[in-house]
Amino acid sequence: MLLLACDAGILSAQSASVDFLRSTGKIYAVVAVIVVIFAGIVIFLFRLDNKLTKLENQIKNEQ
Amino acid sequence: MKGIWWKLAGAILFLYVLIGGITVPLKPGITEVSPSHGYTGTQVQLDITGYNTHFAAAGDNRAWLKLDSVLSIPHSAITADDDNRLKANFVLPQGFASGDQTAPLTLIIDNSMDGVFVQPNAFFLTRDTTSNNVNSGGWESDALKGFHHPSGLAFPYRSILNETIRNTFFHVALWFAMFLLLIAGVYHAIKYLRTKDIDHDTRSAGYTRVALLYGVLGLITGSVWARFTWDTFWTQDIKLNMTAIAMLIYLAYLLLRTSTEDVDKRARLSAAYSIFAFVALIPLVFVIPRLTDSLHPGNGGNPALGGEDLDNTLRLFFYPSIIALTLLGVWMASLLIRYERLRYKWTFKT
Amino acid sequence: MNIVRIKDIFVKDVTIELRQKYAVGGIALFAATVVFIMYKSFNNINPREWTILLWIIMLFAGLNAIVKSFLQEKKETYLYYFTLFDPLELIIARLFYNYLFMLLLFCVVVFFLSLFSGYPVKDSALFFGGSALGLFGISVIFTFVSVITASGQGNTTLMSVLALPLVLPSVLLLLKVTAVSVRLISDTAVTEDLWMLAGVDLLLSGVLMWLFPVLWKS
Repeated sequence: MLLLACDAGILSAQSASVDFLRSTGKIYAVVAVIVVIFAGIVIFLFRLDNKLTKLENQIKNEQ
Repeated sequence: MKGIWWKLAGAILFLYVLIGGITVPLKPGITEVSPSHGYTGTQVQLDITGYNTHFAAAGDNRAWLKLDSVLSIPHSAITADDDNRLKANFVLPQGFASGDQTAPLTLIIDNSMDGVFVQPNAFFLTRDTTSNNVNSGGWESDALKGFHHPSGLAFPYRSILNETIRNTFFHVALWFAMFLLLIAGVYHAIKYLRTKDIDHDTRSAGYTRVALLYGVLGLITGSVWARFTWDTFWTQDIKLNMTAIAMLIYLAYLLLRTSTEDVDKRARLSAAYSIFAFVALIPLVFVIPRLTDSLHPGNGGNPALGGEDLDNTLRLFFYPSIIALTLLGVWMASLLIRYERLRYKWTFKT
Repeated sequence: MNIVRIKDIFVKDVTIELRQKYAVGGIALFAATVVFIMYKSFNNINPREWTILLWIIMLFAGLNAIVKSFLQEKKETYLYYFTLFDPLELIIARLFYNYLFMLLLFCVVVFFLSLFSGYPVKDSALFFGGSALGLFGISVIFTFVSVITASGQGNTTLMSVLALPLVLPSVLLLLKVTAVSVRLISDTAVTEDLWMLAGVDLLLSGVLMWLFPVLWKS
């Protein structure tokens, strides 16, 4: 019974979130797209940062 | 700092697109009309829901139901409940000349603040069984005139896309930038085969990697966009699947690069593969999708962005966005390239 | 470039292949087994499954067969060829040999499929013509990838990773052409697809001939 209630709660929460994203003419879809692009660029920077740190350590160790 | 101007230009252009692309309002549009159908010879009151409209504030609303390029019905009474809701009464004529039982009518609304805007197929007029197949009284053949055209920047309103039309600047421009970067990668691959200068291989790999990042971002943003317009993350859509294949081809390129340790061999193989893959990609991305129906804007009756529908206001941000994303991509690629050069120098010094 | 010498290399390849009877027999056996397994598990293969099955078998059998085409011979043999032939002659001969092999394989697979589950093709001219066009493109891609793998580490896993995404567009077009010839779908634009296949063939073989001399030098 509790499980069922939980399920219903999740379901309604889900539809509510979808409706929220659809509200005001789906502007949040645009926000989501911009966030994805930003996240992609940040992930790229993080990976480059890691690589550079490794190279720096390598150079330091060998000197 | 040498060569900073284009990085700055990329950043400023991107900021311009980001701010402009989000803050410029959408043109007014009609989201809902109820009832959506009626019979000839009756009276009907349409409840019209608008988006970004100023029905109450403007006050001078006018509405028509248009059958074809000549005939239309003007409203008989009109009241604005608030800025987004309008009640318009129409006296529907006795009949219409058409082979079909039902005629789709276009709703046109005009007021001094919003200007004129239309919703095609907003209302379906069904023939009463007793009425005949001729245009009867009630239709007006006077040309509609006196429309308002307010000045100011606004993006076009499309019924399914709504605000997501702004994604043109981000999702669609991403593809164009990806292609420009791929072309840079292939250019350096060819240069490498000509000169055997290892630096060209480093550059080719850098541009291709960033292009691949853009491609993956394009797929993700596309699927986010699709979620809100067509209710699904992944579709049978030909463009989507073809691009997924293109991404597979370039992931294979990355695998190929990791497969050999010999620098010269790796450079030669990956240069050859990237040229071959690019040629194999041309029909994939540009020709095949054109032959097949697609969910994408512009195909199969979907709200279109391409061609004549790429509105001038959209252009104002779309082209700068391509340039900005390309410049940022070149910037990112140059960071990768400089890192690789340093590593190369270091490995071969010791 | 010399037509006679191209023919000589071609004949040499064919005779080598015929001498190793297990290679040809193995492929035919592979095709027969796969068709039989499918036949037993589906009980009855309908036209849609027939076309999909045909191209899946073609893809994997063809990939298996052509991988060896540059790997089977030793490095020393290549050095010997290198002094003997123009690379362009070698690649053209090899390409035509691979193409012939794919065509043969295609006929074998179609034969076995028809034996077990009937021949659903309504428009044989379109079916064989379209397939011949598409198979040429597939053999170009497989040949290119086998050259790449041979001059790389000679790693067969890499070969399938590189080759399968590259042939996908051609295979998708071929699936459509075959579906039209089986009358699964009716499409008036099928001539456009054929032109496209021909265009892809031309482009890819041009690039192959341009790139091979560069790769060959290793």
